[in-house]
Amino acid sequence: MPIYDQTYRRYEARGPLRQVRFWPITREALRLILAKRAFLGLLGVALLPLVVRAVQIYVVTRVPEAGRILPIDGRLFGEFLNQQIGFVLLLSVFGGAGLIANDLRTGAILIYLSRPLTRRDYVFGKLGVLLALNFGVTLGPALVLYGIGIAVAPEVFVRADRAWIAPAIVLHSAVIAGVLGLVALAASSLSRSARIAGLGFFGLVAGLETARGILGAMSHRPEAHVLSLQHDLRMLGNAFFGIAERGVSVPTSYPALVLGLVCVACLAILRARVRAVEVVR
Amino acid sequence: MPEVSPATLVEFRDLIVSYGPLRALDGVTGVFLPGATGLLGPNGAGKTTLLKTLLGFLRPDGGSLRAFGLDPGTAALDVRRRIGYMPEGDCHISAMTAAAFVAFAGELSGMPRAEAISRAHEVLYYVGLGEARYRTVDTYSTGMKQRVKLAQALVHDPDLLLLDEPTNGLDPEGREEMLVLIRDVAARRGMSLVLCSHLLRDVERTCENVVVFNQGRVAAAGPIAALTGPRAPVFDVRLKGDPTAFLTDLKDAGGDWREGEDAYRVFLPEGRGPEAIFGLARDCGVQVRYLRPGAESLEDVFLRALAEPLAPTLSSDGTGRGQG
Repeated sequence: MPIYDQTYRRYEARGPLRQVRFWPITREALRLILAKRAFLGLLGVALLPLVVRAVQIYVVTRVPEAGRILPIDGRLFGEFLNQQIGFVLLLSVFGGAGLIANDLRTGAILIYLSRPLTRRDYVFGKLGVLLALNFGVTLGPALVLYGIGIAVAPEVFVRADRAWIAPAIVLHSAVIAGVLGLVALAASSLSRSARIAGLGFFGLVAGLETARGILGAMSHRPEAHVLSLQHDLRMLGNAFFGIAERGVSVPTSYPALVLGLVCVACLAILRARVRAVEVVR
Repeated sequence: MPEVSPATLVEFRDLIVSYGPLRALDGVTGVFLPGATGLLGPNGAGKTTLLKTLLGFLRPDGGSLRAFGLDPGTAALDVRRRIGYMPEGDCHISAMTAAAFVAFAGELSGMPRAEAISRAHEVLYYVGLGEARYRTVDTYSTGMKQRVKLAQALVHDPDLLLLDEPTNGLDPEGREEMLVLIRDVAARRGMSLVLCSHLLRDVERTCENVVVFNQGRVAAAGPIAALTGPRAPVFDVRLKGDPTAFLTDLKDAGGDWREGEDAYRVFLPEGRGPEAIFGLARDCGVQVRYLRPGAESLEDVFLRALAEPLAPTLSSDGTGRGQG
């Protein structure tokens, strides 16, 4: 019997379109990324600071004198999230570089766009991957750490005047994950090669950091610090958690404005690139 | 959702689509009827532009386009969920198995996950990839990639299948198998399809209707049987001797000719018979060594449509030819 004589069943159960259409895109991309052992290893390493901070909280509650060197208060979470920015950068390079670049290379983008999906669904679906990964090393462990703090040292953390900690954790995590996720995704959309996209993203972040250092040293002006994405994120985090930074006195609105502009630019790039693909191919 | 007209799946009227100053579709009018329709035309004729407009990727600059009674410009998602699109180029997701890829395509079309997985396996068996469905698509041959592209277009059981050059890059055996599948989809599974191809033989073998595009306009359209039906007497003729005078006199007498593989295809004016060919041959001093009544092929229709000045018209029965 020829193979095409096998049963072909008509599908009659066509229901209404899903409201949340981007979820399958996020889920499948996450599944493919998390199937890589190297990536899981990187995620594991990114969670080590959580263990260190948890030990810090435990030690300070048992040996209060240690609190003079390693204080446990709201600033602990801001410092923890600022540390995690480096891991977010690495995850964005390795997890995000191929998200759109690979679809451009293999032509899979037409598979998405010829389905009942909008370009927004596609971009949200891909951005969801980076948000999930980035939240996995920022929001997730920070909330776990907060939970550990409440459990181990309720007298420190369960206080009305520290009720701002949880919202600050959510806000700072969202800013870190959102900004770096958008930049990585925009970089991915600019190339058909995941390697080039990854190098481009890394080059942009490292280049701006280098430029900040050079300009800061030459001009001695604090405004030079807003050139660096990482520094902008840290400055915002410091503002959220009330951490005083030595030698830098820039209004919080400056880094917020820069990061806002970066996000708008990334959205414009994504809009142009995904649209162009549809028309050109 | 409006009811699908039993007579028409897609209707476009005076459709204009431009890329900047370039008009890719210049006021085209036509229909895609249920069944298999071939979309023919040289490169840049506007075939792919029509498909992209149908999928809602491009907005018309003028005229109207309706698919299943819906405007793809405003109801693109509702139109796309009823269409299965097999792109011309390579398209797969790296590191994904064929089963996962096709199931994913089903989910993207709105199917529940469990149902999409079940359908993916069925459809992969149907296209002949049942045994290879757990291999990643990256490792597939060109023929297998074409099949998996067909499977992802079929998985949600669309009302209309758009096939863009489905036999591209296939060896003769693979091409034959793909054409058999396409015929089966259209003839036995009751699915309508639009086959966009440069290969006239593919269209002739699989489609009942054809729309020929040329320079962004419809050069000919209608059932293939009607377009290739008797218009004027056609003969395949082999001659001995210098045929130049014969062919010139044939044109002067209102006929036409085209060089075939081993014989001339001779088109006589209406009402003339083979005796005209013998008479011309005698007058020109050549011998007729072979003469066989022929029928117009799709290739004849295509070449004539491209050669004729464009003024697209459609008759009331949906049949039309470019007319000068």
